[in-house]
Amino acid sequence: MSRLIPTAEMTLGPFFPREFAQDASDLAGDFSAAIEITGVVTELDGKPLDNVILEIWQADAAGRFDNPGFSGWGRAATDAHGVYRFRTIRPGAQQGRAPHVNFLILYSGLMRQLQTVMFFSAAPDPVLNVVKEKERLIARQSGNTYRFDIRLRGGEETPFFDD
Amino acid sequence: MATRIEPRDPLTQAQGVEHGYAQTARRWPSQPLVRRPHGAAELSGPRDLAHRLPPIAGKNAGDLAGHGARRALGQLVRLRIRVLDEDGAPLPGTVVEVWHCNSAGKYIHPNDTHDAPVDPNFYGAARLLTGDTGLIELRTIKPGAYPVPDTGGWWRPPHVHLSVWGRVWLSRLVTQMFFPGEPLNEADAILNAIRDPGARERCVARLAPSKGNEMIFEHQLVVRGRKGTAVMP
Repeated sequence: MSRLIPTAEMTLGPFFPREFAQDASDLAGDFSAAIEITGVVTELDGKPLDNVILEIWQADAAGRFDNPGFSGWGRAATDAHGVYRFRTIRPGAQQGRAPHVNFLILYSGLMRQLQTVMFFSAAPDPVLNVVKEKERLIARQSGNTYRFDIRLRGGEETPFFDD
Repeated sequence: MATRIEPRDPLTQAQGVEHGYAQTARRWPSQPLVRRPHGAAELSGPRDLAHRLPPIAGKNAGDLAGHGARRALGQLVRLRIRVLDEDGAPLPGTVVEVWHCNSAGKYIHPNDTHDAPVDPNFYGAARLLTGDTGLIELRTIKPGAYPVPDTGGWWRPPHVHLSVWGRVWLSRLVTQMFFPGEPLNEADAILNAIRDPGARERCVARLAPSKGNEMIFEHQLVVRGRKGTAVMP
């Protein structure tokens, strides 16, 4: 079968419409055991970035990706201080994977999407296993809040994946 | 059948830090990206996205040129955009987000400080769902060119931003569509970050025979993913 070549990715630019990122950051809805995932997105020299778009994809509490009662997908934009917030539930372990949340980052100056993964602990995991600086992918817990900063470039740079 | 994602071709995809686009050197990671194994997490995706991201300004077809009491300023165009996977199969029911500036080069976003005028009859944001043949249609106006601040003379050619979902998490595509015959296309740092001339050409829409008062532009988007026997861990 002849193959079509995937369209070239290009930057989101700085003016992603605000309404596209509204009302999509709450995955938990009526679930009682909600958690918050929050952090700051920074560029070189630690400067925080406004209107970065983050999308997440995660399993439900049982580790499933096909639960009709839990979407598993969300989107948030950073504010003028570089801060994003998701309200979600803690995913379960699934098929040999430790609990984790997949992140996709889109922004001006990023010609392609960046992919990273947030983990809840240093449990054995085939994806975490290929990363050198594992601790940078593990969120810091404080009660029901998990802090996961994303440093695009520079000191303590977040590890990103190529697919 | 399972979806398979193959590595990106460096000729047909941008590589990160791009000459002439200074922000890439502040934002693209300095460390090499890490290859990872693909399993259920990467090769699945949301099935209810149209519910999470409801349509804006239309359903399968939309209109950005009739936002106010009068028609928006500029050249009236109709965009016909089809979404396919790498096997050439159309993707029906997939979400497509479209945004672009007005005919004077001004975005609706409050962060746009360009002094070009706002057009009250234009609203540059639509979210549509592809129909049975993977197609969306949008009536709008041709966007203007605009200067990029602090770059010493870089003008963006007229372009339309597109965001689309494929079958799985790794099929996500965000890109831009350009117009044929624009002299600014030749020097644009974003379009020319794509090394392969054929891949650049596929980012330029095709002018189709016009009917009535709209110029018709046809365009095709190919999202990543082939049918195949992916190895699930």
